[in-house]
Amino acid sequence: MKLLKDKVAKLSFVALLAASSAAMLYTPTAAAHGEKSQAAFMRMRTIHWFDLNWSKEEVKVNDTMTVTGKFYVFAGWPETVDKPEVSFLNVGIPGPVFIRQGSWIGGQLVPRSVSLELGETYEFKVLLKARRPGDWHVHSMMNVQGGGPIIGPGKWTTITGSMKDFVNPVTTLTGETIDLETYNLDNTYFWHALWYAIGLAWLAYWIRKPMFIPRSIAIESGKSNTLITATDKKVGMAFTAGTIALVAFGMTSTNAKYPITTPLQAGLLRGMKTFEMPAKTITVKVEDATYRVPGRAMQMTLKITNNGDSAVRLGEFNTASVRFLDSAVLEDTTGYPDDLLAEDGLTVSDNSPLAPGQTRTVQVTASDAAWEVYRLADLIYDPDSRFAGLLFFFDAAGKRQMITVDAPLIPVFI
Amino acid sequence: MSASQSAVRSRAEAVKVSRTFDWMILFTLFFVVLGGYHIHYMLTGGDWDFWTDWKDRRLWVTVAPIVSITFPAAVQACLWYRYRLPFGAIVCVLGLLLGEWVNRYLNFWGWTYFPVNFCFPSNLIPGAIVLDGIMLLGGSMTLTAVVGGLAWGLLFYPGNWPIIAPLHVPVEYNGMMMTLADLQGYNYVRTGTPEYIRMVEKGTLRTFGKDVAPVSAFFSGFVSIIIYFLWHFFGRWFAKTDFISSENL
Repeated sequence: MKLLKDKVAKLSFVALLAASSAAMLYTPTAAAHGEKSQAAFMRMRTIHWFDLNWSKEEVKVNDTMTVTGKFYVFAGWPETVDKPEVSFLNVGIPGPVFIRQGSWIGGQLVPRSVSLELGETYEFKVLLKARRPGDWHVHSMMNVQGGGPIIGPGKWTTITGSMKDFVNPVTTLTGETIDLETYNLDNTYFWHALWYAIGLAWLAYWIRKPMFIPRSIAIESGKSNTLITATDKKVGMAFTAGTIALVAFGMTSTNAKYPITTPLQAGLLRGMKTFEMPAKTITVKVEDATYRVPGRAMQMTLKITNNGDSAVRLGEFNTASVRFLDSAVLEDTTGYPDDLLAEDGLTVSDNSPLAPGQTRTVQVTASDAAWEVYRLADLIYDPDSRFAGLLFFFDAAGKRQMITVDAPLIPVFI
Repeated sequence: MSASQSAVRSRAEAVKVSRTFDWMILFTLFFVVLGGYHIHYMLTGGDWDFWTDWKDRRLWVTVAPIVSITFPAAVQACLWYRYRLPFGAIVCVLGLLLGEWVNRYLNFWGWTYFPVNFCFPSNLIPGAIVLDGIMLLGGSMTLTAVVGGLAWGLLFYPGNWPIIAPLHVPVEYNGMMMTLADLQGYNYVRTGTPEYIRMVEKGTLRTFGKDVAPVSAFFSGFVSIIIYFLWHFFGRWFAKTDFISSENL
C-alpha cells in the first residue's frame, strides 16, 4: 500500500512539474480578438465594412499608419441587437500596442460616442501611432451600446523598434508641452508613497504593543478602559488633525500650481456626415437562399433588374467582411487580408453583362473555406436565421453600385 | 503534558507566544482583507478606480467612497470591540492599496502596457486614518459612523486632487477641447471599454454649476454613514464567538 502511495505521490509530482514547465515555457501570444466567435448574424446584419485599407504592413515605433474605409449601417438591423444610437468607432488591437492619435467619421473627429442612422453609409479613418513592437492584428471595430463590439476585418501589422523610444508629446492649453506617456508619474508615486507611509506609521504605532491575546483578555475581564492611554489619544488626535491639514494643504497647493483645470469631457455626437453612394439603378430580389453545409457554399437565386444606362456584371458579394469575388469581373488590388478574400469564390450562373432595362434570374454561389473558418456557417444556429450582405455590380467603365440583400437562409444538410 | 497543562512555562515564554500570535493574526488579516476587499472594490468601484478618464467630479466622488467604506467599517467593528485596536480601517486600506498597486503595475502595465499614469488607484488613506482616529477618540460606533462616515466621503476628492489635477489640464486636440485624462482614454486604446461605457458627468446637479464636487462629496458622505452602519454590524456579527463553547477555551 505504501509503495502504491509513494508511486502516486511521485507521479503526481512529475505531472505537476511537467504542467508547470509547459505553462511557463510555452506561452504563445494571444493575438485574436474573438472575431470568429461573434454570432454570424451580428457580423452579417449590423455593420458592413468595405473599401478597407491599411496604409502600412510594417511600421516603426513612433511612426503612424492609417486604417481607412467605409461602413454601411445595415437597414435590416436585427431586433436582438440594440440599434446603433450610441456607438463608438474603435480599433480592435491587443491593448495599446498603437495609440489612437485620431479617428474620424465623415471628416469629423470622434473621440466620443456617436449616433448612427440605419441604412446610411459612412466614411471613416483611424490614425494610429506605433508603440509596442510585435506582430499585431489590427481590426476596424464599432462598439454599439447594448449590442457589444462589432468587429470588422483585421490585418496583420508589424511594429519594429523599441517601446523605450516611444514618446507621446502633447501641448496643453496652458502652453506646456508634456510627454503623456510619463506625465504626472512622479507626482502620482510621491503622493501615494507619502500617504502609504503615513498609514503605515499609524499602523506601526499600534502594532508595536501587544495586540490580540492580552487585549482580548483585558476586555473579557472588564478592563477595557485601561487599553487606551492618554498618549494614544494624543497620537490619535495628531494623526487625525495632521491628515486633515495635509489634505487641505495638498488641495490648496495643487490649486495654486494648476489654476486652470477643466472637467472630463463627455457627450454624444449626433448628425454625423454620411457618405453619398452612387444612385442605385439596379434592383435585386432574393428569390431564395440556401446554405449547403457539406459543401461550405451559400447559394442564392437572385432576380436582377438593371434600370441604369450601362450594362453591369456582379463582381463581389461581401458579408461579415468576407469578400467573395468573381475574378473575371473584379480583382482585389488593395492588399485585403488573404483569409477574408475568396478571389474566385463567387460563381454566377450567367454573369454576362446585364443590359439596361433587362431583368435576369441567376444562381449565385458564394463558396469558400471562410464559411467554416470564420464560423459564418453557424448562422443556421442563430436565433434569427437570415443572411445579409452587399452585392457590388460593375459596368464596363468600372463604375460601381452597391446593393444590399437581406433574406431568410435555409440550411441544406444532405 | 496533559491537556490541562499550559503550553508555556514562564511569563517570558507567554509573551513571546502572544507576540507570535499577534504577527500571525495580523499577517493573515492583512492578506485576507487584501483579497476580499480588493475583489469587492474591483467589482463595485471597478472602472472608476481603474482609469483616469473615469475619475470625474460627480460619480467617481460619489461612488468610490460609498463602496469602499464597507470593509473598513466591518474590520473596525471587530478590532475595536474585541481588542480596542483602532486600526481596522487603515489595515484594510493599506491592504487594498498594496493589492491594487501590484495589480496595476504587474497586470495593467506589465502585461497590457497601459501607462501607470493612466491606471493608478484612488487614494483612500486620509479617510481611513480619520475613521480610525474618530473611533479611537470617541469610542462610539454612532459617532464614528456619523462623523467618520461623513469625513470618509468629504476627504476623498481633496485627498486625490493633488494626483489627478495635473490630468485635468485642458488640451486642444484636432479642434476639440479635452482634458489630458480624456486624451489618455482616447490615445491608449481599450478595445472592450468604449467611450460610452464611461459613467462621467452624468446626473442632474446642474444648478450647482462648476462647484459640483463638494455637493457630490457631501452626498457620498451621507450614504457612507448608512453603509458604515450596515457593514459595522456585519463586522460585529462575524466577530462573534457564539459558536465556540467557553469550556473549550
